[in-house]
Formats: sequence, C-alpha cells, structure tokens
Amino acid sequence: MSIAGEILANAIPGSIALVYPALGELVSERAGVINLGTEGAMLAGALGGIATSIGTGNVWLGVVVAVLCGAATGSVHATAVVLRRANQLASGLVVWFLALGVTSVLGASDNGQVVSLLGAVAVPGLSSIPVVGPVLFDQNLLVYLGYVLVPATWWFIHYTRGGLVLRATGERPAVVFAGGHKPLRVRFLAVCAGSAIAGLGGAQLALGIVGNWSNGMTNGYGFVAVAVVIFARWNPFGVLLGSYVFGVALAISSVVQAHGIATNQYLLDALPYCVTVVVLVAVSSVGRSNAPESQRDALSETS
Amino acid sequence: MTSERLVLTRSRAWDVARSAHRAVSWTRVGIVAGAYVLCLVAFAAFAAWRGANPLTLIPTMLQSSLLEPSALAQTLLRAVPIGFAALAVAVPARAGLVNVGGEGQLIIGAVAGAGVGIAVGAHVPGVVGVLLTVTAGTLAGGLWAAISGMLKVAFGAAESVTTLLMNFIANDIMLFLIYQPWKDPNGSGQPQSRPLAASIRLQPLLGTGVTLAVVLLVVVTVGLWFVIRRTGWGFALRVVGGNPMAAMRNGLPTRRLSLSAMTVGGALAGLGGVLNLIGVEGQLRPDLTATFGYVGFLACFLGRNDPIRVALAAILFSAIALSGNGMQISEGLDGSIVNVLLGAIVLTMLTVGRRTKEALT
Amino acid sequence: MALATTVLLAACSGTAAAGGGASATSTTTVGFIMVGSAKDAGYNEAVADGAAAVQKDLGTSVKVLTADQVPENNSVTQTMQAMVDKGATVIFATSYGYFTYAHDFAVAHPKVTVLHQGGFDKDTFPANFGTYWGQAYDPVGLGGMAAGGTTKTNKLGFIYAFPIPQTIANIDAFELGAQLVNPAAETYIVNTSNWCDPLKQKQAVTALLAQGADVFSQHQDCQSTVIQAVKAAGKYVVGYHYDAQSLDPSGWLTGSAWNWAPIYEKIIGAVQKGTFTGGPYNANWIGSFATGDNPLELASFGTSVSADLKAKIEAEKAVISKPDASIFAGPLYCQDGSVLVPAGHVATAAEVNAFSCLIKGVVGTLPKS
Repeated sequence: MSIAGEILANAIPGSIALVYPALGELVSERAGVINLGTEGAMLAGALGGIATSIGTGNVWLGVVVAVLCGAATGSVHATAVVLRRANQLASGLVVWFLALGVTSVLGASDNGQVVSLLGAVAVPGLSSIPVVGPVLFDQNLLVYLGYVLVPATWWFIHYTRGGLVLRATGERPAVVFAGGHKPLRVRFLAVCAGSAIAGLGGAQLALGIVGNWSNGMTNGYGFVAVAVVIFARWNPFGVLLGSYVFGVALAISSVVQAHGIATNQYLLDALPYCVTVVVLVAVSSVGRSNAPESQRDALSETS
Repeated sequence: MTSERLVLTRSRAWDVARSAHRAVSWTRVGIVAGAYVLCLVAFAAFAAWRGANPLTLIPTMLQSSLLEPSALAQTLLRAVPIGFAALAVAVPARAGLVNVGGEGQLIIGAVAGAGVGIAVGAHVPGVVGVLLTVTAGTLAGGLWAAISGMLKVAFGAAESVTTLLMNFIANDIMLFLIYQPWKDPNGSGQPQSRPLAASIRLQPLLGTGVTLAVVLLVVVTVGLWFVIRRTGWGFALRVVGGNPMAAMRNGLPTRRLSLSAMTVGGALAGLGGVLNLIGVEGQLRPDLTATFGYVGFLACFLGRNDPIRVALAAILFSAIALSGNGMQISEGLDGSIVNVLLGAIVLTMLTVGRRTKEALT
Repeated sequence: MALATTVLLAACSGTAAAGGGASATSTTTVGFIMVGSAKDAGYNEAVADGAAAVQKDLGTSVKVLTADQVPENNSVTQTMQAMVDKGATVIFATSYGYFTYAHDFAVAHPKVTVLHQGGFDKDTFPANFGTYWGQAYDPVGLGGMAAGGTTKTNKLGFIYAFPIPQTIANIDAFELGAQLVNPAAETYIVNTSNWCDPLKQKQAVTALLAQGADVFSQHQDCQSTVIQAVKAAGKYVVGYHYDAQSLDPSGWLTGSAWNWAPIYEKIIGAVQKGTFTGGPYNANWIGSFATGDNPLELASFGTSVSADLKAKIEAEKAVISKPDASIFAGPLYCQDGSVLVPAGHVATAAEVNAFSCLIKGVVGTLPKS
C-alpha cells in the first residue's frame, strides 16, 4: 500500500471518534445551541466507558454507560443555557473545565488500567472488496455504528416529524411554540442527545481505539468536532467528510515517519482549521448559511 | 418561555439591564450569595469525599494563593495573562462582539514578541529591547484579532467562531516554529525557542515577587475603565453594542468601530501574551498558555465586561489555580480539582446570576 | 486599586526579606513534582512510588509532599514556591521540561536544594542544584536484545515523544542491543510530540505494523496504549518505566523499570548531613550497572523469551556491569557512516548525552533544529 493509502486507512478509527462528537454537536446546533462542552462529554464518555468495563468486565455495558455519562454532561449545559438562559459559549467552556477536573479526580485509579478492546468484526462480503474492503469493513462495531449514524441522522433531521421540530426550534422557535410544541424541551433534549452521541465518541476513543484511560485523553478532539460541524455546513454527510479530513491530518505524521521521513507537520495541522474558516466566510457572505437562525443570536451574546 | 420574549429587542434588553443595575433587590442578593455559599459547600463536600479535611481546606487554599506573600506574588503574576485575555473579551463585548480567541491572541503575542526579542537580543539597550518586544507582541495580537474582525464586518462571518478556530491555527503556528525553524539549538531536543536575553526579561520589582507586568495590568485596567466610560470611542462602542440600528441611523461608523474594538481586544491579549513571555517564561514552549485564554473568557463573564471587575475576576481565577498547589500538597487532592472549583463557580454565576439580555427561547 | 497594589507590594517585599522559609527542625520536608498523573502506570507513577518509599523508609525524619499534573511552564515555579512555603528544603522536579525552572529556582532560593531528574547541566552548578539520572540506555539495550532475538521480520518499532538526549540514547541502545543478537534487525521510529497522547500512540503502532514491525518499544510517559495495541495485533512489546508484564503476559518480552527510592534517599541523606554541596549529587549524577546503583533496572521476562535468549541477555548484563562499561562500546557508526564511538572506546555518560545521531540500523530521522 502506498503512503497515501496507508494514511487514508490509518485515519479511519480516529475519524469515527470525531464523527460522533461532530454529529452530537450538529444535533445540538440544529436546535440552536452551540456546545463547546462537547470535549467534556467525550471525556466523561471515555472514563465512564473504561471504568464500567473495568468494573464489570463488560465492554458493551461500558459503551452504554459512556452514552449516559455524555448525556449527564450535556444536561449540565442544557440546564444552564436552556433553563437558565446562560451564555452558551461560557457555559460550554465551564462544562469542559468541570469535566476535565471531575474525570481526572474520579479516574485517578483507572489510569493505565486496560480493558479488552472492542474487537474487529469483518463484514462478510464487503470486507473482501479489494483495497477498501479490509480498511472500511474490518473494524469494530462502533465504527460501523458511526457509518450508520450519519445517514440515520440525516434522515431523522430531514424526513421525520421530530427532525422537523428540531430544525424549526433552531430556526423559528416562535413557530414551534405556536404549533403546540415546547421549544425549550426540544432544546434541552437535543443538547442531552447530542452530548450522549459525543459520549459514544469518547467510547470509540477509549474502548474502540486505545483500551485504557488517561487524564485529558481527548486532547482537544471535542473542539475539532465544533470545527467539523462548520466545515460540514450542518449537514451529516458533510460531518462524515469533515471528520475524515481532520482525521487524515491527525494520521499523516505517524505514517510518514514510519516510512523514514522526518516531519514538522504543524502547519499541515492548521490547514483544516483554515479551510473551515474559509467555508464559514463563504457561507456567511452568500447570506445563505445553513447555520441555524437562532444560533447566530446565541453566538453574539456578550454577557 | 413565552412568545412575548421573542419580540424583546436589543435596545429594550439594554434598558432592562440598566434599570436592573440601579435597583438593588436584597432578596436577589440573598439568593445569589446563598448560591455561591452552596457552591463552595458542595465543592468542600466533593473534596472531603476525595480525602481532604473540609475544615482545613479553605484555609489551605487561601494560604497557598493569597495569604502567603510568595504565593500572592505568583497569583498576581499568573493573573497577567488571564487578566489581559479577559480584557480582550471585555472591549469587543462593549461593541456586541464575542472574542473567544484570547488563547490564540496570547500565543501570537508571545510568538511575535519572541521573534523580535530574540532577533534584537542584547544588541540594543534593555529598555529598547523590551519596548520593541512588547510592541511587536501587542501589534501581532491586534492584527490576529483584526482578521476575525475583518471577516465579520466584510462577510458577516461569526467572530465567535472564527476567533475560536484561529486559536488552533495560532497554536499550530507556534508549534511549527519551535519544532524546527526557531528551535533552541542548546535546548537538548526539547521543542522550545531560544531563551530571550536577560536584558529583555522583566525583573521583580523592589524585592517583591512581582514584575512590572502586574503594574501594567492595573494601569491598563483602570485606563480601559476610563476609556470605556469617559471617551467618545467608548461611548460609541456601547451604542454599537447596545443598538446597532440606532448607531447606524445616527451616522456612527459601525463597521469601523466593530473592527477597532476587535483589534484593541486582540492587542490587549497580545500584550498579555508577550508580558507573560518576558515576565515569567523567557522562551516559547508548547505549554506556554495552558488554557489561560479560555479562563480569561470566563473571567470576563464573571466580571460582566466591566474592566475593573474583570481584572478582579482574573485574579480570583488565578488564585484558584494557585490554590491547587495547597490542595495537592497539604490535602492530597488531585491537581485537576482546581478545574472543578473554577467550573463550579462560573456555573453558579451562569445559572443564578443576573442576565443582562433575554435570550431567544 | 492602586492603593491596594501598593499595600500588596509592600507586603510582598516585607516577607521576601525574611528568607526562603527553610525551617531548622529535625524533619526534612521534601517535595516531588510530576508532570503527569501520579497514577499513569508509567514514568510518573514510578516517581510517586519512589516518593512513597522515601516516606516509608525514612519515617519521621522526612515529610514528603507531592504534586502531580504540573505543566511544563511557570506553574512548576509556583508549585516549587508553594512547597517551600510549606517548609520544603529539598525539591525533586522530575519532568525533563522542568529543567530551566528548577535551575532558576535554585539560583533564586539558595537555602533550598533543588534536584532535576533527567537533565544534564552543561554549565557550572549552583551549590544547591543537581541533576540525577541513570545509564538508562544499558537496560534499554538489554531490552533491545530481547526484541532482536524475538523478531521474525527483523523490523522493530520504537515510539518516542521528543528527540531529547535520553531518547536518542535509548533508540540507539535499543537498536544496538538488537544487533548484538540479530545483525539484520532494524528499528523504525515514530514520534508523537506528546508525552501521553493515546490516539497518536495507537496511530504510530498502526503505521509501524504496516511497515512490518513485530516488536515494539517506546519512550512515552504512559505505556498502556502501545501495549494494548501490540497485544491486539498479536505482536511483542518491550516496556519502559514500569513493569507492565501483567497487561500482556504473552506479548511482554521484558522492559526496564525505575526504582527511584535509593537515589532519592541518598540525596536527602546528603542534604541532611550537610554534604550535598560539592558532593556527587551537586553535579550530573548518573547511576549505572557498573556502580550497582542504576535507578533503571531490567524488568521481568515474559513467557515468550527463550531460555537461550535470556542467557545471552544475562551474559551481556554481566559484561556491561564491569567498571566503566556500557552498551555503547565502539566502534559505532551513525546512519551516514560517520563514527559515533571509535573502536576500543566506551562512551561516557556525558558523551552519550551529546549523541546527536541515530546509529546505523535505525530507520527514520530526527526532527532537525
């Protein structure tokens, strides 16, 4: 396999760890709430997943707890911004700091302890496609769930009644209210659901990729997810592409070095962020941003 | 909650905020104070559960952050980058702009300062070297933020998002430089820039542990307070932030004002970054800012955009960070517990605090 | 505000004159500062174990203070200051990136003895400052033998964080050890630019597996991720910092593990007796097998290491435990063919610290300055 091919393959598991928080962020933002606490939800999911797996020996129970820990983290943000109308950006950062602290304190005894990784399950048929088969279809089940969640989210948002209410809550909450729904409740649930999905990203990282817990192990990937959503223009398929672009950037350095080439890849690392800025500028200047209407107000709250 | 809230305009919210400022409700004060006490009690309970002695916890924290003179000096030193990053949020906020880019602006300020400082080295007198370094850092921070300001006024790109994204770009630029082109040849392989010449480093004042940087923070804070309240520019910013339509109707150059607010904000953070560099660090390293920019953002919220209260909030957050030493050393707590306390305090403030503007719900 | 500041400044200057806060009781307060979590099953936990052993062994004559997760910026100065405020007179700053802060703190606080773990000071030493480390490369070289004798592909993977001198020496020693038993063995290197970033570690293992590497070693602070990844691939691992055989009993070949307590206790003893200044610890102290005080020891062997290979490793250990011996016996050549260590010469610790090239047989290059 060529270097490029190796990079593209190496990036898959990490990209899926980004797909989850980015999809979660998308759901939350579609309801009009930006969540910088996504990083915190990932951390909580990672620790919850590992601690449960160590305690019960059941990795899948760990995945379930990761979802619950993500949702719990999200409920803090939802309470602050939806019920108490707190500033969304500040609340998100607070949730991040809280999660960083709480997971470090509670996870101290789990540091370095290992759990058995989620095993790879080859998809019959698909995994025998030349070249891409083993790369895409010989992965753990959380990777497949990530693949499925992308079109599922897209379908939910565009073709279900719940999705319609979700989008309307982000665009025209007054209409939702007039239509007999409770925009506050929708928002609260969207933030919690989004964080629960981000918790799955933590599970993919901790249980699917590395098999152990270490403090602050998400290393800012939750913030990358926020960028991915903008890159994706709030479209789930765009999230898949964006996560993969960022994931590839993360994987380049290891592969290139293993081929004996020294790198200083930091300018390359900055590239996806630059592209994201350009995308944001492009969609803003044509005036037809996909960004949920009310989110723009949230982003300009200064106190 | 009701659709009535949806029709609240910004100017109406502004009036509400101002009238609320005048009328002090003692019930409200009681509720808020009670909430903070509850927050501290909850934190103490958490710490006690993790093995700390709840009775000695608070004295230990105060001792290791404010009461011990050497600790106080360190608290004030750390308050410099946090405080400037917080002021960098406060100025654009006056004009209705959200600057989440303090972290990146601190970094760019330090990077530019290091570039100039290392280049001039000991070739020029110390005062000149310091002035050149500080000027470079301040300008760089301002220009960095001005990019987001330009994108906002020219294309309408949300500055809160572009400033956030540019934090990561700034960090990558610094890492790129210290991993290769600027790497210290005597740094034993560590990713760090060459150290600044001693003549460019700030020395402690009069045997205290603090440097001129702390004095500058005080001076700039008071100066900003004055500028915002007593100058035409400050007034114009408030009008733009309070009611942009009215500002435009009155012929105010709203775009130029927005851009200037963002630039000044970035310059403040750049100044904080370069002062942190020449004051305590002396060279660029990967952990240079260690989330000070984000902590500054929260400090600005705690201080509600008022320069003096913002600076005090920065000192409080700095003290919390320092109190972590005491909590670890004397109480055996995890070092990261300071993040819990910081988060708990701001969360309390966010949930019980007075809101100056109605969000759309 | 200005008034308040003046008062604060006055308060500061008042006590600064009172001195460094060193108390003259019979109990010595000793502080240990770690960069990562004290429970990382790696580098930092080894330090924490050493600190706990000091308290247990020396009893009431010492009071041990610890602080972990202290980043490599001015925070470490603040933590050292806080420890001094609590009466500490001896401070062990144990992360490589603490060096400048530890050195400068020692200069500013003549009454406090500051030790830096792993640094190598090229300048003159303040009377209250020293660095200590071990000839880590010797046990790492023995681990390389285990790797070289086990590999079937003749390709070894080494995952490191930063190209610091210790790491360069470890990579060279690992490859050298492998060559002692398997001249065809090559070591492929990947850096993660972080002492503990699990995702990057996993990607590094994946990339090296794609190159055909089947035995892995590392110089990271936390090692669980690499061991897990290697275990999942059914390959072999040589550990570092901490004996982690229990994580992967069949894939674990051997490794090296820190035992810091003896040197900590010797240094504290020297301070208590007043013999620190001018003594062996007021310098770059390096323990070795030859002097019987190497803080890095060879860890236990896993089940996959053959008796024959074990015997070879033990024999080499005996060779490098002779006076002035080391794994770095010449002739050794850099990748470009230039001489690193001439024939008939054994590199001294100071020379090893100045190694700037990778030896022939290492595949990959270091990021250049």
